[in-house]
Amino acid sequence: MLEIAHITKRYDGVTAVDSLSLVIEPGAVYGLLGPNGAGKTTTLRMIMGIIEPDEGEVRVFGEPLSERIKDGIGYLPEERGLYRKMKVLDHLVFLGRIKNVPAGTARARARKWLERLELADWADKTVEALSKGMQQKIQFISTVLHEPKLIILDEPFTGLDPINTQVLKDIIEEMQREGRTVVLSTHLMDQVEKLCKKICLINKGRKVLEGALADIKMAYSRNVVTVRFSGDPARLEGHRGVERVRAFGQELSVTLTPGTDTNDILRHALEGGRVERFEIGEMSLHDIFISKVTEEGGEVGDEATHGRQERVS
Amino acid sequence: MKLLTVARREYLDRVRKRSFVIGTILGPLLMGGMILVPGLLYEHTPESRLNMAVVDLSRSLSAQFEATLDDTLADGSKMFALRDVPASRSDLEGVKKDLNAEVEAGTLEGYLVCPEDIIEKGAATYYGKKVSNIRTLERIDNALNETIVARRLSLQGLDYGKVREMIKHVRIETVQVTKGGEKESQFEQTYITSFIFIMMLYMTILLWGMAVQRSIIEEKNNRVIEVLLSSLRSFDLMAGKIVGVGAVGLTQYAIWAIFGLGLSFYVLSTGQFSQFVSFNGVTLAFFVLFYLLGFLFYSTLFAGIGAVCNTDQEAQQLQTPIVMCLAFTIIIPMAVMQSPEGTFATVASMIPFFSPILMFMRINILMPPAWQIALSIAILIASIYVAGVLAAKVFRIGILMYGKRPDVREIVKWMRRA
Repeated sequence: MLEIAHITKRYDGVTAVDSLSLVIEPGAVYGLLGPNGAGKTTTLRMIMGIIEPDEGEVRVFGEPLSERIKDGIGYLPEERGLYRKMKVLDHLVFLGRIKNVPAGTARARARKWLERLELADWADKTVEALSKGMQQKIQFISTVLHEPKLIILDEPFTGLDPINTQVLKDIIEEMQREGRTVVLSTHLMDQVEKLCKKICLINKGRKVLEGALADIKMAYSRNVVTVRFSGDPARLEGHRGVERVRAFGQELSVTLTPGTDTNDILRHALEGGRVERFEIGEMSLHDIFISKVTEEGGEVGDEATHGRQERVS
Repeated sequence: MKLLTVARREYLDRVRKRSFVIGTILGPLLMGGMILVPGLLYEHTPESRLNMAVVDLSRSLSAQFEATLDDTLADGSKMFALRDVPASRSDLEGVKKDLNAEVEAGTLEGYLVCPEDIIEKGAATYYGKKVSNIRTLERIDNALNETIVARRLSLQGLDYGKVREMIKHVRIETVQVTKGGEKESQFEQTYITSFIFIMMLYMTILLWGMAVQRSIIEEKNNRVIEVLLSSLRSFDLMAGKIVGVGAVGLTQYAIWAIFGLGLSFYVLSTGQFSQFVSFNGVTLAFFVLFYLLGFLFYSTLFAGIGAVCNTDQEAQQLQTPIVMCLAFTIIIPMAVMQSPEGTFATVASMIPFFSPILMFMRINILMPPAWQIALSIAILIASIYVAGVLAAKVFRIGILMYGKRPDVREIVKWMRRA
């Protein structure tokens, strides 16, 4: 569906994207995740041919990028922008037309989408009369109006309230069910966990981690288990695969060496007393990202911690 | 075609704007006003009789002066009511004081004091409230002159009437030789027509050229650009904008032409002012051609500037040399007018910066050889192509730069890139 081979982009000596390669399979939601400044937007712009990569190649639907290929892609840029003085419906028709959708078809589809996103009453208002959130929805409609096979969304949830965020998530899932491929880029890594089948974490223009979300979670989530049981904490401490045990009141936080089977730990605990709670600690994507970057001796981009604060607040 | 979609949007967006309607209506009104109003004011005749006094210290002129000053009002009655005020040198001050009071009160328009030696020295003084009323003063001046000259001649024993016959001004009528034959023409007519057309070319090229630039800067600032570039080539975007805005200019011309034709039929039927304007189909065809070419050339340059700037203020610096080139063409038409086939005019009308206006002007004054017109147009078209290619390169890179404006060296670097 989408192949990127060793693309590199430098700005004034700063390497924004460093020999990045990705293969995105059709029919899935693919998450391109990383802190602000990691090179996500630059990568997407190169995919769309808005900027040329200094090195490397982009292939979409098995072909190098062309006007025709672009008509099959829907792109929601991070920098949102609409003509403020244009009427909503006219605007959508215009954006459809530049994707080679006939005016009549574009108009009909735009009306349907406006209806669905509860904006039908605004069709003949100028864009500037709309709230930020509404404009955001208009922009999203323009991304899918030409029914693209590949949809690229750059920070799609910024500026949306929780209700509209959910609406958008539902639509993304629907798109995926319809067999479209969605590439989602965001710095709010945890927000898209449930949405993405595959993800790629990037930092400072380089790939940190890539793969099926479930596998990544699996690989990184067995490290810590929380246990509450009537037995002796020392029983666990000495067990194979246990690195460290810390007590927090009645609960124990058990850190395991990588690759340890949690079932084995559970079995061992059951033999030593009554287990009231046994929970495999789930690491958030953000934490995985941080640990992976530090593990490799790399530095996390300045914005990474900022991203986390945003998530918390 | 995506280029046309962009052009269509740009066109509709502009034509629907209130400022377009106002500009289209006000433009010709302002221009017409600038040309006609001073003339109308100048020609304006007073509505009622003007009371004047003549203080003739030489005691020899007033009767003849009154006879000479025979201008009439619209209804045929005399325009000036002259009152002879006898005075001598000794009581002049007193008389003047009384007259000044009358002028002050408004019962007297003004008065003329002719000294004793007026025949020899040829000088008199006019006192009045409205000393800037050129037309009235000119009438008095002419009448006094005629009176004095006649008196001088008769003192030499000559008859003024006969002399006037003899020194009658010889009039030269100018006839422009054109392909079809001869055409009566006057310098004034050619000049005014050319000037109106040149001003229109200048203003519309500048106005719409800069509109392209502003529109691009605006698009950068409201970030629409990225959505657009994900759907179409930057060249289509730039060219679409230029075509759309250019079409707006043509629409404006079409509206003006319709009104202009209507007006000229009206004017021809009344016979007024027709001596000022002369144009024909050929002139109009060249006018539209040179507008299109001039607009394409300049708007392409303006588009390039728009692409590298983030604000209108930034753009002003860069556009100054270009605007000056354009302004140059309306500063020099007198030189071209005087010798439309001279080296200066010929060379200047080949340079793409000037040719849209100067070559059109030459065609209007004196049809240049066809090869010169063809060469000028060919050079202009080639320049548009080169400017277009360079601007498209700058456009492609500059359009997404939101940071600081690149310097000239950087821009040249972009142009060199494939």
